[in-house]
Amino acid sequence: MGFIMDGLDAEAYDRSYSDRQLVKRILAYFRPEGWRIGVVALAIFLTSVVNTALPVVISNGLDELGVTHPTPAMLIRLMLIVTALGVLGWTFNAFRQWLSAAAIGNVTLRLREDAFDAVTKRDMSFYDQFPSAKIVSRVTSDTQQFSQTVGLVTDLMSQFLLVVLLIGYLFSVNVTMALITLALAPFIIVTALGFRKIARATITQSRRVNAEVSSHIQETVSGIRIAKAFRQEQAIYDDFLDVNSRSYRINLRTGYTFSSIFPILNLVAGIGTAALVYFGGRITIDSPNLLTPGQWYLFIQGLALFWFPLTSIASFWSQFQLGLAAGERVFALIDAEAKVVQTGNLTLEHVGGEIEFKHLDFGYVEGQPVLSDFNLHIRQGESLALVGHTGSGKSSIGKLVARFYEFQGGDIAVDGISLRTVNLDSYRSKLGIVTQTPFLFDGTVRENIRYGRASASDAEVEAAAMQVANGDWLSVLAQGLDTPVGERGSALSMGQRQLVCLARVVLQDPAIFILDEATASVDPLTEALIQEGLDTVMKGRTSIVIAHRLSTIKHSDRIIVLREGEIIEQGTHDELIQKDGHYAELYNTYFRHQSLEYIESAKDMVA
Amino acid sequence: MALKSEFFVQPAYPYDRSRPIRWVWSHIWRYKRLFLQCVAGFIIGYTSFSYARILIGQAADAIINADPAALASAGLAVLLILLLDSLASLAGSLSIETVAQRMERDGRQELYEALLGKSQTWHDRQRVGDIMARATDDMRQMNGMINPGILFMLDMMLGITVPVIMIASIRLELVSLLIVFVLIYALAVRRYARALNPVVNHQRSTFGAMNAGLEETIVGIEVVKASAQEAFERRKFHLNAKAYRDYFAQQGRIEARYLPMFFYALLTGGVFMHCMLLFAAGRLGVAEIVAVMGLIGVMRFPVFVSIFSFSLVQLGIASARRVLEIINAETAMDENASGHAAVMQGGLTFENVTFTFDDGIPILKNISFDVQPGQTIAIVGQTGSGKSTLTDLINRTYDTVAGRILIDGIDVRDWNMASLRSQISRIEQDVFLFSRSIAENIAFGAPGTPQEDIERAAREAQAHDFIMALPDGYNTVIGERGVTLSGGQRQRLALRVRS
Repeated sequence: MGFIMDGLDAEAYDRSYSDRQLVKRILAYFRPEGWRIGVVALAIFLTSVVNTALPVVISNGLDELGVTHPTPAMLIRLMLIVTALGVLGWTFNAFRQWLSAAAIGNVTLRLREDAFDAVTKRDMSFYDQFPSAKIVSRVTSDTQQFSQTVGLVTDLMSQFLLVVLLIGYLFSVNVTMALITLALAPFIIVTALGFRKIARATITQSRRVNAEVSSHIQETVSGIRIAKAFRQEQAIYDDFLDVNSRSYRINLRTGYTFSSIFPILNLVAGIGTAALVYFGGRITIDSPNLLTPGQWYLFIQGLALFWFPLTSIASFWSQFQLGLAAGERVFALIDAEAKVVQTGNLTLEHVGGEIEFKHLDFGYVEGQPVLSDFNLHIRQGESLALVGHTGSGKSSIGKLVARFYEFQGGDIAVDGISLRTVNLDSYRSKLGIVTQTPFLFDGTVRENIRYGRASASDAEVEAAAMQVANGDWLSVLAQGLDTPVGERGSALSMGQRQLVCLARVVLQDPAIFILDEATASVDPLTEALIQEGLDTVMKGRTSIVIAHRLSTIKHSDRIIVLREGEIIEQGTHDELIQKDGHYAELYNTYFRHQSLEYIESAKDMVA
Repeated sequence: MALKSEFFVQPAYPYDRSRPIRWVWSHIWRYKRLFLQCVAGFIIGYTSFSYARILIGQAADAIINADPAALASAGLAVLLILLLDSLASLAGSLSIETVAQRMERDGRQELYEALLGKSQTWHDRQRVGDIMARATDDMRQMNGMINPGILFMLDMMLGITVPVIMIASIRLELVSLLIVFVLIYALAVRRYARALNPVVNHQRSTFGAMNAGLEETIVGIEVVKASAQEAFERRKFHLNAKAYRDYFAQQGRIEARYLPMFFYALLTGGVFMHCMLLFAAGRLGVAEIVAVMGLIGVMRFPVFVSIFSFSLVQLGIASARRVLEIINAETAMDENASGHAAVMQGGLTFENVTFTFDDGIPILKNISFDVQPGQTIAIVGQTGSGKSTLTDLINRTYDTVAGRILIDGIDVRDWNMASLRSQISRIEQDVFLFSRSIAENIAFGAPGTPQEDIERAAREAQAHDFIMALPDGYNTVIGERGVTLSGGQRQRLALRVRS
């Protein structure tokens, strides 16, 4: 069945944990639930004791019937005992379910939060590498699966105790019969262990293929507009059929494994029951003083009692593996080593904004350096435009200042302090970033602006919005600041999204401002609005602009021209034009048409 | 009534989509042979398993009468009938498992086809995380509703009916208590299901909200980090996860107070008492008491398991409702397969075009203009003025509210959808690349394009050089969001080949 395994490789951050390590981890999570788990275990045990006592009472009753004629008092006594045992069993079980649901719910919550924290602590290279749907399924689904294993563990412990007690009692009644009962145990255990092996392998594959299905659907839904525009529904549909049928084959195999365990164990128990009926019957007939008919019946009922815990001990393994496989995925996520290595945790109260790259080496992928021995000094309050061809490394510089990625050599210092030694939260809160594709959260414009500083009052949010291009852009919005932006900002135009992001930065009031300009998404008229906004944002702040627009470039204090990760020219616009070098060439080919004269002529063309 | 759809495949099977239960049932009934095989397996299984209790009673008789030959034949009969039970149950379990897995596969496929067929207007209203939850978790839940959900239902029905019939055949009057029990049991189960239903529904929708929220955080992680808002996102996640925890615990509390098991305990005591009374009256032997108590024991698991069968089936129906909601959602456009299909010349006319989104705010008002084939036009205007929307109307991403758009003199609504869309190229502001190889992304509009053509297109877009610098060249697979490429590189790849 090799073909089924194709494409099921583990994620790069997956690790293998031993069962012992995983169990240790889960115990740590359940420690705060100690008393609940204790009561649950006790309740399960008591339920089992009551369940054992029931057939004992009935078999004794049967024997009494053979000896004496039943009196009304004896009948009432028996009935009361049988009923009372049943009611007690129900009560204990209710306790157990009540408390274990609470405990499992709490642990799942804690586990989810830890997984969530782990995810948000990863650097950007993690998100570049792993699809969001797979991460989501680990945080929400696998955690639940894993925490449910504890219910299984308490079951196991109490049932093990029950088996020991029951066997002890049966031995005291009749040794031969107890041995016949016990002889079944190895068969059950061997079958169980066999299943354990198969189960673990199949379930891991199932979870992976399920995550793949999620990924595929997520991509389809996010990219549906493109698929429609290109009329490529059939192509992605075919891809989907492929993933979906692979998921079917793998899940069917897992399903068969789990569906056959009980009938097979049933088979073993059936053989045992028949053996007890016959051999026990012979003992009773041949030597009635060794085994009464009532006791014979007890053994047959006892087998069912003994068998049920044993099969749950057996199915425990397969279910437990199911949980452990999920646990492995959760902990691999929680434990994944951060690539961004911080050597200190210095909280920055104030950031001036002087930035220095010192002999920096950086690449996203090993063996493909983007920057080598890169040096750049940015003065406090300076505005810097980075220009260069695609792939020249301009975006990387912004991302490195934000400490989104780990660099391999050299250092970056802010106000003379190495970025490796600072508390990133305190540092980033002094950093304002607008990404190339402006991202908005589902909610209103107001909520998105407030994202820059959660404590801001409505008045402050409005003031920030008004500061960006005098708030001219707000009048176009249907409900002003309370306009819903839609999922990922889809209800706003690209230019509007950028303006919202700028207002967000104004509210945040950072010391350093990084802008990765959108390449082609804003029209000249909106550009004027954005430029006004930018002037506000950049005033008095260190600004790094990955520039695509002439107006931004011209407004900056210094232009850095990059080629293949090296600074080949720098200076102001006029200086560089005079120099007639690389920048002048770039200007003539890319930027000149954005000049004001060009825009004016575009307007004339429309008019 | 057939729904409109922008994408159509010949349905593999005519499912009944009028109500969730019927829809689920039509999925099961598609594999009726397997389903009936399962029911037959379980009938045989439960009948043999129960009959073994009567055989054990006969063995008890043989013991009391000290008859080794009768004991031996009873023992052998027990062995054979329990073997039959195991094999029949195994066959039944595997059959239903197959139905369950096929249902998950087929249902997801049906949902996927529906998703592809919905209009962009519809898609704009959806949250990706929510749709994902429906396509994955809800479909899993429907799988679980069949196995073990429906399996447990069978356990419940057969595991109660068969023993009751056998007890009746031993001594009819013993059934009186059983009938009372079954009535009370049915009422208790009904009450239980009613209490559980709303909690289960809330739990599902909370799970969806939690997933959607987390998804958004992860997709927007750059902004989260850049604004140092991890704590805010954490709170948001915490609220969702906590709400889920609360419903989970509430479900546990309702399940804990599951009364049928309580009545079962009373039943055991009552039937035992009744047996003794009959014995005292000389109307029932020890062997029969053994058989009756054994049969009462058979009922234990089925009574117990209905707790799960009801939650599983309810969860499954709730999931089916959510999935069906999407499948049945109305959408405005269809493929227009019989529409006009021709090579486009490129003449474009807007005639008094007006467009508003669902919110009623007008985007375009009475727009009219003409474009000649081969002409290049620029549309200029403030952000939010409707420039992008205007272009969305040409390939019918959205339809106009009033007025019409003509291409080569023919209303776009009269064009065959495939012909229309495949001849209009559009570079998106939002560069969305699929997680496939670069070559496949370039050839997205024209699968099967030869490598030379792909490379030529890449050279024209000045993308060839950077593509060749990537580890696997044109075969490099791009991550989910194409993030291993810079913005400019992504934009260039978006200049895709056209068929």
